[in-house]
Amino acid sequence: MIRILAVAMGTWFLIAPATSFGDESEEARLRARLGPELATQVIEVVRSAAAQGLPTSPLVARALEGASRQASGAAILQAVRRQASGLVAARRALGPNARPAELDAGAGALLAGVPEDSLMSLKRARPSGSLVIPLIVLCDFVARGIPAVSASSTVLAATRAGAADPALLRMRERINERILRGEAPMGASREGLRELLTKTDPGTAKGNPGREPRERRRP
Amino acid sequence: MEHDDRWDDQVRDAYRRPIAGEERAREQVIARLREEPAPRRSRWSGWWMDPDAIRMRPLLAVASLIMVLGIGAGAGAWWAASRGASIGSPRSTTVVARQTARGIGAFIGATAVTFVFRAPGASRVSLVGDFNGWNPEATPLRRATLGDTWIAEVPLERGLHAYAFVIDGSDWAPDPSAPLAAEASFGRRNSLVVVSEGGPL
Repeated sequence: MIRILAVAMGTWFLIAPATSFGDESEEARLRARLGPELATQVIEVVRSAAAQGLPTSPLVARALEGASRQASGAAILQAVRRQASGLVAARRALGPNARPAELDAGAGALLAGVPEDSLMSLKRARPSGSLVIPLIVLCDFVARGIPAVSASSTVLAATRAGAADPALLRMRERINERILRGEAPMGASREGLRELLTKTDPGTAKGNPGREPRERRRP
Repeated sequence: MEHDDRWDDQVRDAYRRPIAGEERAREQVIARLREEPAPRRSRWSGWWMDPDAIRMRPLLAVASLIMVLGIGAGAGAWWAASRGASIGSPRSTTVVARQTARGIGAFIGATAVTFVFRAPGASRVSLVGDFNGWNPEATPLRRATLGDTWIAEVPLERGLHAYAFVIDGSDWAPDPSAPLAAEASFGRRNSLVVVSEGGPL
């Protein structure tokens, strides 16, 4: 009995530091880079997010980014709180099983004006596959001037058509090239989607989003 | 019972009886030992090599092991915090797996990501991101043989990472070929890179 207890205690002592390592490290980093008052406020937000089961590294990163960019304390705290609210909304839209990277990307999209419904639709289009790349492509479209609703429709249409991650990234590159050539962002996204849809054989990549979709043979 | 006692007495007497030549043999052994040179062991190595130097109860040994591991973990945490970095340990510096469309940007390897940036006229370029605590001093890029191209290879953990380049210590710029973050929290947008478990994306 004593031996079992000793082994159990030993195992716990070995595991416990590993599980709490990240949080302590994050707080130490925040205290090292931010003023004491700001660090305390940011840590409060971080702890609250952790208590809700949300990823905390995007919040810490946001605060450290603000410090490096020499933003004011108020701006840093506002950005961290905004990011935390984005993560909450992203989890609401993507579900409780969403991965940290999906929540991070989803929060960015929502904060940039993408409707929560669009994220829910994306989730339905790819119920089991990762949504990180579709969300990143969506964020990129919004950043390049495509209105959030149109950007959402484009990514959603491509995902529903079974476009896999490499195909989505290629579509992003082509649309970006068009915009850089001077085309209007809306027109560029429409053309990019049309190009993708003519090449994508709908359904082939569904449920296997990591793979390249089969392309239709041209006569 | 009586028989046993008698037997015991006999054995005892036999042990007490002096052995012929015992004293002389003992002197010979001592003399031989004195003639032999002492084994060459310094005080430290002798202690370290002695299998009986430390003896402890198993429970105490387990407790000591846990304490040593705890000190190691604490020291690691302190080092990571003081360094302001969260990058994972580089498991290998493997081959570049894929090049981004325009030849500039992030080349994603199995465990290492190579960042390439063109900055004509720059004297110093560094990489900042969530993987190095956004510290402009943490990851300087080295100038490639092509004069205005700068390069750095960084081990990244799986997941989504935001990053930017800092030119001459003050000018922050996103990667022109990578996807952009939708939001610009502090005035400028960051670039995004995904390191996936299945390989480069």
